[in-house]
Amino acid sequence: MRSPIRKTMDIVAVFLVAIYLAPIYWIALTSVKPMSDINSKKPVWLFDPTIEHYAEAFVRFEFGKALLNSSIIVFSATFITMILALIAAYALARMRLRGADVLALFILSLRFMPAVVIAMPFYLMFLKFSLIDSHIGMIVVYVGYGLPFAVWIMRGFLLDLPKDIEEAARLDGLGWISIIRRIILPLSGPGIAVTAIFTFVFNWNEYLFALYLTQADAVTLPIQIAKMVDAYTVLWGTISASVVMQLVPMVVVVFLLQRHMIRGLALGAVK
Amino acid sequence: MTVSLKNLRKTFADGTDAVKSIDLDIEQGEFITLLGPSGCGKTTTLRLIAGLEEPTSGEIYINGRQVNDVDPGDRDIAMVFQSYALYPHMTALQNMTLNLTVAGLSKEAANKKALATARTLGLEDLLDKKPGKLSGGQRQRVALGRAMVRDPVCYLMDEPLSNLDLKLRELMRTELKRIHKKDKVTTVYVTHDQAEALILSDRVTVMKDGEIQQVGDPVEIYGNPANEFVAEFIGSPSINLIRADITENGISAGGLQVSTRNVPAGNGAITLGVRPEDVILGTVESDGLKGKIEFTEPQGGIVHAFVKLEQSEKILKNRDYLVVSIDVHESIEIGSTVGIQFREERMNCFDAQSGQSIETTS
Repeated sequence: MRSPIRKTMDIVAVFLVAIYLAPIYWIALTSVKPMSDINSKKPVWLFDPTIEHYAEAFVRFEFGKALLNSSIIVFSATFITMILALIAAYALARMRLRGADVLALFILSLRFMPAVVIAMPFYLMFLKFSLIDSHIGMIVVYVGYGLPFAVWIMRGFLLDLPKDIEEAARLDGLGWISIIRRIILPLSGPGIAVTAIFTFVFNWNEYLFALYLTQADAVTLPIQIAKMVDAYTVLWGTISASVVMQLVPMVVVVFLLQRHMIRGLALGAVK
Repeated sequence: MTVSLKNLRKTFADGTDAVKSIDLDIEQGEFITLLGPSGCGKTTTLRLIAGLEEPTSGEIYINGRQVNDVDPGDRDIAMVFQSYALYPHMTALQNMTLNLTVAGLSKEAANKKALATARTLGLEDLLDKKPGKLSGGQRQRVALGRAMVRDPVCYLMDEPLSNLDLKLRELMRTELKRIHKKDKVTTVYVTHDQAEALILSDRVTVMKDGEIQQVGDPVEIYGNPANEFVAEFIGSPSINLIRADITENGISAGGLQVSTRNVPAGNGAITLGVRPEDVILGTVESDGLKGKIEFTEPQGGIVHAFVKLEQSEKILKNRDYLVVSIDVHESIEIGSTVGIQFREERMNCFDAQSGQSIETTS
């Protein structure tokens, strides 16, 4: 028998979920509505679904190319960020560096800086190195900007791992790289999953750097969707269809990684 | 000599002197215990031998080879951690064979070796289980098996039984003793449990504040402690420390003669150390020590009686009551006044200032 407090909390939870899901539901609905129903003054709930907006996104706005660009840039940047973050965080968490705590805070503080402050220097540098509108350029920006936060989160997780296990591994004859690969990596599943999700979601939705540093060849999804709004028209149907398609990879990544987020793998290792 | 420590020192970055100039030689096949209270440097010493800490100065030799700059994995030692430190994502078998495969042994050969070790520890049925599925005692056995399977020249054990309940601890203690008797592998064992140290060890090293206080076999450490600290740390209940003076006729406490023994090297004030089992309760004599039995603590076969002396505060150095161990079948009456005598031949004398042991003669 559920207590009244528990029941009330359940109702509040359902209400909050509904608030969060309502816009997504409306966008999904709009993406398959005929143009006339979208522009209707009263909300239309019953209509003949259409895929014309999806087709328009691909044909008129090169959605496929932007999706491919985003996928290449974001998956690569997230992968590289995770490898570098794990190594850096391990060094900060475990090696006896003088002022490791201050250094960690300094690394995080790099993220306090507004993105717009570094967008222009990046633009000038990239111009010099011919990295404007290139996949590599965007990967470098996303790795550089995402790394401090990823290192900070990963360091927190690694500090929680029992030190004895690594010492046992050293006594078993494993070197640093082997310890990271064979011991730390399998035990850091939850930390890696959380950090990867944060990094991926940030990169996938990033707008400012992409606006400054891409023109045609490396344009990402947020920039491409923004082009669907001009001075005279807002293509709500095409925007909604694009947003739905942009959401899909994010949802898939979160679903794939969420099972690794469950804590407790280290249970039984020590005491 | 399996392990030899020469002038070993460890000062941590924060300035703490964890180990202050230790010299210790550990013989082949010996079971030696590093015993002492928290913060005495025993675990740091063990970690220095293991290579998990770098010494500030001094030398460490294992099997005649200086290992100061040798990686932990290449020192030919195996360590059992207090927390077990098993790899939670690996099965018991994988935990036991990791070192062997890293050392280049084939998987089949490593498994065969691990299985043989598992048999001696009764682990055959648990080899495919991960640590999370094992009980505390089983995990401890796997940790022990992981060390044994390597055939090292020396085992290092850091309070390996302290996380087990009393019954299991006793069981594992016997198991350790059996394994050591069979294999005769040199073992350095860290504990703060003096009973464990006395039961298991060939020799006990008592440490305090990063220094060795005494090294000796359990009987010697218990019977002839080098100083007041060792005397008080070893034994439960701890030794009675009594303020005494050297007189023409022997030794007196509270103005009453308690011994006829001579103390050639001492002068003036000394401290007497008398174990609870070396106190004899008897009839009250006019010129002897006496006291009132305030309460008792039955301990099964023996009873600890707490006796309030007439001048307890003045005479006793380390507590308010004189503690006496007597057989449970001896009749004593709480509230009664009793005469007190000491077994003179077993008394220890310490310099009142330095706390160091002084010789007595009959």
